[in-house]
Amino acid sequence: MRLTRADKWLIGILLAAAAGGIGLNLALLSTTGAQEARVYREGKLVRSIRLRAGYHEELRLGGAERYNLVVADNGRVKIAAADCPDQLCVRTGWVSVAPQQIVCLPNRVVVKIVSTEPPDVDDITK
Amino acid sequence: MTDTRRLVTLGLFVAIAGVLHAVEAWLPLPVPVPGVKLGLANIVSLAVIDLYGWREALVVAAARVVLGSLLGGAFLGPSFALGISGAAASTLAMAYAHSRWRPSLSLVGVSVLGAAVHNIAQITAAALLVASAAVFWYLPYLLLFALPTGLATGFTAAYFLAKLSRAGG
Repeated sequence: MRLTRADKWLIGILLAAAAGGIGLNLALLSTTGAQEARVYREGKLVRSIRLRAGYHEELRLGGAERYNLVVADNGRVKIAAADCPDQLCVRTGWVSVAPQQIVCLPNRVVVKIVSTEPPDVDDITK
Repeated sequence: MTDTRRLVTLGLFVAIAGVLHAVEAWLPLPVPVPGVKLGLANIVSLAVIDLYGWREALVVAAARVVLGSLLGGAFLGPSFALGISGAAASTLAMAYAHSRWRPSLSLVGVSVLGAAVHNIAQITAAALLVASAAVFWYLPYLLLFALPTGLATGFTAAYFLAKLSRAGG
């Protein structure tokens, strides 16, 4: 079984799309600006937490069931506990820079890091 | 091929694909991106497309997701929604590519295309589920992993079909 020319084109296009997307992610990733964790549940913004050094906050979403415990600490945020079966959100661990995010599909929770200041190149010339 | 024989063969394919689907969920891949899977059941989808056609492949894929999620205890949950949308979209895309773009695109190319479409459909379903477009952030990483897994399942399916035709099945 040998790869045809069309196969190689398809692989090349996919590689280019993946590399472009990852490059775009990295370009959007801003480590300098102030970071904010936006917590969404079922598509609605529940709370924005400013991520600062030395700041600690715990936020419990949901009731006795379908809960997620969001912990912000020292400029980072994680989901410390949840009752979803796959526990992917808990295993994601700490996130701290945009556009990182934690997703809990079963409970429809998204914790998204956004940079409140745009990655402003003109800072230098200001 | 008689109807009974066809029914039994397709039933066997459903069983194989269902088990592959369930077993795959037990295998944690050493990858920090959630949702990356080997797509082993894709091998069966490719074989059924090649041997029968898109209708049979779609039925086998749907039955496989139902069976696999029943075995995995995730029936009608969010991962079921992701599985069924991914399976349906990738099966249809592979069937289309198989009938229209071959032989310029080989079976392996069809498989890679199916893997990529699978990821795009799953991310779209996930974005609808959490009502947030932010999960599209994962798509480039998933596409990157779709290449090796699509190649592997494509070569496996091609090997299987070559053996099958030599055995006279």
